[in-house]
Amino acid sequence: MDSTEEAKSLTTIAFMEQAMQQAKFALHSLEVPVGCVIVKDQKVIASGRNRATETRNATRHAEMEAIDFLLEQWQQNGISETEVARNISQCDLYVTCEPCIMCAAALSILGIRSVYFGCANEKFGGCGSVLSLHSAGLEEFPSNDGAQRRGFKCTGGIMASEAICLFQSFYEQGNPNAPKPHRPVQTIR
Amino acid sequence: MSTTGTGTGTGMGMGTEMKMKTEGWEILHIPDNLPFPPAQFPTVDVVASLVQPKLANTLISRLNQIAPLENLRHAKRVRKNFPQGGNTQLSIILCLTLTSDNQLESLPTNVLDLVNAYQLSPFVTKVAKYAASSKEEWQEQCQLWPTSYHPPTYNIDGITGFSEEDSQSVFGFMNMAIKLAKSTSQVVNAAIIVDPSVRQVISSACDQTCSNHSPTGSNNLERDCTENNIASSKCQVVETSESLASSRDYESLSGVSCLYPWTWSECHQHNGNSYSWHPLRHAALVAIEYAAARDRRLFPGSEHAQGQSSPKSSPAKKPKLHTSREEEGKACSNGFNSDIVRPYLCTGFDIFLVWEPCIMCSMALVHQRIRRVFYAFPNLNCGGLGSVHRLQGEKSLNHHYAVFRVMLPEESLRGACRN
Repeated sequence: MDSTEEAKSLTTIAFMEQAMQQAKFALHSLEVPVGCVIVKDQKVIASGRNRATETRNATRHAEMEAIDFLLEQWQQNGISETEVARNISQCDLYVTCEPCIMCAAALSILGIRSVYFGCANEKFGGCGSVLSLHSAGLEEFPSNDGAQRRGFKCTGGIMASEAICLFQSFYEQGNPNAPKPHRPVQTIR
Repeated sequence: MSTTGTGTGTGMGMGTEMKMKTEGWEILHIPDNLPFPPAQFPTVDVVASLVQPKLANTLISRLNQIAPLENLRHAKRVRKNFPQGGNTQLSIILCLTLTSDNQLESLPTNVLDLVNAYQLSPFVTKVAKYAASSKEEWQEQCQLWPTSYHPPTYNIDGITGFSEEDSQSVFGFMNMAIKLAKSTSQVVNAAIIVDPSVRQVISSACDQTCSNHSPTGSNNLERDCTENNIASSKCQVVETSESLASSRDYESLSGVSCLYPWTWSECHQHNGNSYSWHPLRHAALVAIEYAAARDRRLFPGSEHAQGQSSPKSSPAKKPKLHTSREEEGKACSNGFNSDIVRPYLCTGFDIFLVWEPCIMCSMALVHQRIRRVFYAFPNLNCGGLGSVHRLQGEKSLNHHYAVFRVMLPEESLRGACRN
C-alpha cells in the first residue's frame, strides 16, 4: 500500500500529519489515540479526535466528532440536506487508524468520497479488516426504493508505523504496571 | 436457566391473567452463526471401525496420540450403538480421510499398524464438519455421528430460554418501544436501554435524523424515561396499525433510519427556519448518548464500579449481583439509591429496538458493551444482526452481545388493543 502513488503524495502525508496531531491530543487526554481531518478542496474543514473516555460514550470516535462538527456548522449556515450531501461527496477523510465498522458505515451513509487511513484495525476495521463496507458491493445488494448503498475509495497504510507508536504509548501509559522506562519503539509490519 | 423454554432459544409468554395479552408472542435467539437448513449441514469423511468394548480405552488413547482429530474437536471419537436384541456396539473414529478416492488404502502407516494389530475392519463414514450452532442442529448431527454441543461460551441469560417472568418483562419493554416508535408523526425506529436486573429504563430515544422526528424536547423524554419503570407502562397496550406490522411500503417506513440510512438527503420536511437534522442520529445512537449523559449525571466521579478492568470481568459474576440488586429494586422502585454501582458503559444492560439495527448501530452497541439486543422486525436492507450482516458472530470483536427477535403476531396485537 505504501508504494502506491497516492500514499507517497506529499499532500496526503501533510493531511495525515494533521490527523496525527489530533491523535496526539487524544493521547494527552488519556484517550485512545486516534485523530482525523476532513478535507475539501485541499483544505482541512474539520478535525476530530477520540473522546470516548471523557464522554463515557464509546461511540465518540474521531470520525464522529469531526462529522458532527461539520454538520452543525453547515446547518448553522443554512445549507440544505441536498447541498450537504453534495458537499460531503467532495470530501476526503484522513484518519490515523482504519475506521471501525460503525464509522465505516457512517461514512458510507454520508457518502464521503474517499478515506485515507494509517494502520489497519484488525479487531474492528470496517474498511477491509473485518468487514468491507467501503466497497459498495451493489451486485449483492438489491437497490429497492432509494436504499442505495454507497461505497468510497479507501487507501490504507499511510504513516502506519507512527499511528502504531501512538497506540503503544497509550497502552504503556494506560497500564500502571507497564515498565517505567518506555520500551524502544518497534515498528510492526 | 429456563423453566418454561420449550427448546433452545424459545420462550413462551402465555399468561392469561396478564393485563398485556401476549399470547403468541415469542422470543427467538438469533445465533452467532447462520444455522444450516435441516439436514444440509456440511460433513466430512472419516475412517472408523467397530471395536471390542474392552479394547476401546487402549485404542482411544493410542489414536489420540497418533491421529488427533484436528479441526474436528466437536466430533466424539466413540459411537455407541444399541442394535435390537444385541449387545452394545462401539465404533471408533480412526482418522480423517486423506484423499477422496481409495480412502481406506491411504491410511497413515501408524494407524494401519493399529488396524492390523487389533484386526479392525475400517469403514468410511460421515461426520458433521462444524460444531452445531443450535441444539436442533446438534440433534441432527448426532444422527450421523455423535458430536458435542456447547451453547455459546458467554453466559447470557435467555440463550437457553426465558422464564415466564422474564418473557413478560421482555414483552413489556418491546411494547414500550413500539409505542415510542409511533409517538411521532411518522413511524420511526425507537430504542430503549434497560437495566434488566432492576427492570428499569436507563434511556430511550427515537430516530432524530429529521427534525420532525423528535416530538417534544428530547431532554424531557430522557428525564421521563429515566424515572420511568416498566410497571407503569405494562398495562398500556400497543395499538398496532397494520402499517407498522405488515407493510414493507417505502412510503410508510421511510422514516425508519436504520431501514433507509442512505436516503437522508431526500428528507426535506422542514418548512420553518429553525429545524435540525442529522443523518447519523439513529435511535440506538441517541439512546447510547442519553445513557452516557445519565452516567455522567449520576456518577460525576471518574471511577466506575470495578476500575478500568471491569469490561473484562467475567460475566459469570453477574447473576450474583443481579439477585441482590433485584431485591433492592423491588424495595425502592422509584429511583437510584446511593449504593448503586456504576457500570462500565452499558455493561449488563439490554436494548429494545423496534427494527433490527443497521450495521452502524449494531457496532455502536458493541462499543457501548450492551449485553442483549431485542428487536421486533428484521431489517432486510442493512440489518447488522442476522439479516445482512451478523455482527454477533464476528469473533475478532472485543465484546459480544446476545441477539433476540421478539415475534409479534399481528392478530394478537390487534386483539390486545380491545382488552
